[in-house]
Amino acid sequence: MDKDYIHIILADDDEDDRMLFTDAFGELRINTKVNTFNDGVELMDYLNAPDSILPNVLFLDLNMPKKNGIECLYEIKQDARFNDIAIAIFSTSSSEEHIEETFVQGANIYIKKPSDFTTLKKVLSDVVTLNWQYHTSGLNRDNFLLRL
Amino acid sequence: MKIKRIYKSTIFLKSIFVVSIFAIFFISAVTYKHISILNSSSKWVNHSYDVNLELERLFSYLKDSETGQRGFLITKDSTFLKPYIDSKQKIHQSFDLVKTYTKNNPDQEKNLRKLEFYISKRQNYLSATLHMSYTKPLSDQVLKEKLSIGKETMDSIRTQINEMILLEKKLLKNREINYTDTIKVTPIFVYITLLITLLLILISYIRISKDLDKLKISNNSLAVMNESNNLAEIVGNFGSWQLNLDTKQYTFSDNSYRLLGFQPHSFFASHENFMKHIHPEDIVSFRTANEQMLVHGYLAPFTYRAIRKDKKIRYFRTTGRIIPNKSGNEILIGTTSDVTDEVLVSLSLEQQNLELEASNKELLAFNYVASHDLQEPLRKIQTFVSRLSDKEYDNLSDSGKEFMSRINNSVERMRILIDDLLQYSRTTKLEKVFEETDLNDLLENAKSDSQQAIEEKKAVIINEKLPTIMVIPFQIQQLFANLIGNSLKYSKENVAPKIKISCKKVIAAEEEHIPKNTKERFYKITFKDNGIGFEQEYSEKIFVLFNRLHNKNEYAGTGIGLAICKKIVENHKGFIIAEAKPNAGATFTVYLPEENS
Repeated sequence: MDKDYIHIILADDDEDDRMLFTDAFGELRINTKVNTFNDGVELMDYLNAPDSILPNVLFLDLNMPKKNGIECLYEIKQDARFNDIAIAIFSTSSSEEHIEETFVQGANIYIKKPSDFTTLKKVLSDVVTLNWQYHTSGLNRDNFLLRL
Repeated sequence: MKIKRIYKSTIFLKSIFVVSIFAIFFISAVTYKHISILNSSSKWVNHSYDVNLELERLFSYLKDSETGQRGFLITKDSTFLKPYIDSKQKIHQSFDLVKTYTKNNPDQEKNLRKLEFYISKRQNYLSATLHMSYTKPLSDQVLKEKLSIGKETMDSIRTQINEMILLEKKLLKNREINYTDTIKVTPIFVYITLLITLLLILISYIRISKDLDKLKISNNSLAVMNESNNLAEIVGNFGSWQLNLDTKQYTFSDNSYRLLGFQPHSFFASHENFMKHIHPEDIVSFRTANEQMLVHGYLAPFTYRAIRKDKKIRYFRTTGRIIPNKSGNEILIGTTSDVTDEVLVSLSLEQQNLELEASNKELLAFNYVASHDLQEPLRKIQTFVSRLSDKEYDNLSDSGKEFMSRINNSVERMRILIDDLLQYSRTTKLEKVFEETDLNDLLENAKSDSQQAIEEKKAVIINEKLPTIMVIPFQIQQLFANLIGNSLKYSKENVAPKIKISCKKVIAAEEEHIPKNTKERFYKITFKDNGIGFEQEYSEKIFVLFNRLHNKNEYAGTGIGLAICKKIVENHKGFIIAEAKPNAGATFTVYLPEENS
């Protein structure tokens, strides 16, 4: 990694979740830069801009207005420029359909939003420090969902 | 069968008729011949009499002439000469007559020539003698001589005539014998033929009257059948029709007209007239079906709308097929029934079904969305409470800390409730994908889900080998996990839980808990524990959603777990039952069909 920090982006329409997300990273002792977007359209506008700085890890909420997480995921996977972005689905839902679909669409990991702050911090820390290359090569339907 | 017999009988009668006609022809021919024979025989008899009579007459004329001559010779009185002269003419005439009569009979002709010779000889002698007596008186000597010559010739003539008469009599007799023979044989023959003919006619009469009886009986039963058919058509609300494919003639039954609201036979039975009553929107499909029927020889039941005389729309269903009849024509027979009620019921059922399905889907969606969306604020409450207790715990008073922990408990309980509800609504969801799965794997997964509790409680789980069958894998795993979790939860205090899982293949008919009319073979998987058990009377109630036997302070739970189990087993067309005694453990038995699709 040529940068000295990990660039992280979160797209989530929920203000509380965005706050908790940034707070969690603020409390973690990892050098990160966190950007948040309110919906899929904002996210894609940013990513598609030619001078945008692409994130190392992108956290995608599924249920968003205008453009939902699945649509974003599909668009990102269509563009070779975004090949190096690790995509973590970050959703309240843990329904089989969503897990199945995002896995098929090429997301790297599926995280069910934890219901306490300590767990949230642990999950986020685990995800951003994950060896993506290793994880992705051995990725299968079973280890796709991050078990807490 | 009956028809065949009558048909056979017709051939029989026809042959009898032909035979009788021939017999009558034969009899008339024979009779004609016979009469003509009789006729000719009487002619021959007359003929013979005529011949004989004429011969006698001829002879008497000859005698007359001789008598006259003799008288003259003796008396020299010329008056005696008159009969002589007269007879000369008569003899000639008589002879000619005999000659005509005996024509074509060679024997008689021969005799006649002889007779002619004798007659002429005699006439010559008579005239010669007379001539002599004119010139000079005859001496006694001469007279005697001449008379004896006359007698001689006369004798010869007599003999000759007698011979002829005899011959004629003989001929007549021969002919008579001949005719009697013929006449004697023919009447018997005619009589026998007549008798046979009469017999044949009698037989055919009996046969005809029998056939007529049969025909009457079958006509009667036909009439009865027709009538009962009419009644059946009225009761069953259907009508029948026929189409003769060769003459293109239609026949509609009485009720066919009534179906359309008309009096029987109030319009001419034709395709066009029927088409007039078909709903305009269905005319094209009706026509297509009709054409298909003519091509394939049958019409699959076909439903369309018709407009009755009273302008009411009715649903008709028609079916038909082509059958060849005895006369070699092809006949299309068909039935049309009024299925309006049926159609309306099925339409409303369909509608109700759709509504039910929609409301079911809505309910599921509502359930799912509700529990899913409820999670979000709840998660946040939990997260913020956790932050609060992390950051601000020290600033809280003792009662504040107590409240905090109660909030935490309540929120946690709500989360579990929502999780379980979500789980339940997922098991009810419509799409079910069956996969061939090794149940042992699912059981291992279920065990590892409860690993923490197993370790805490030092539980022992032993299981027999489970089969590999078609199941919805995550649901069965959930089922196993719930059952194990249940046993662990309701274990006795201070007693290590022991769960024994056994499995065997059973036949449905032999299991009292499996209702009738289900699949044949099942796997019976039992989960037997040594927990607190329950009263047997609750064995069904425990599977009902939100039903609990214990206060939530004693045993945590939502009352959804076993309801989910029941739902899962139902999804697999199986059965689940519970048996227990208080403090003596519980046994849950799951029946899963061997075959599932």
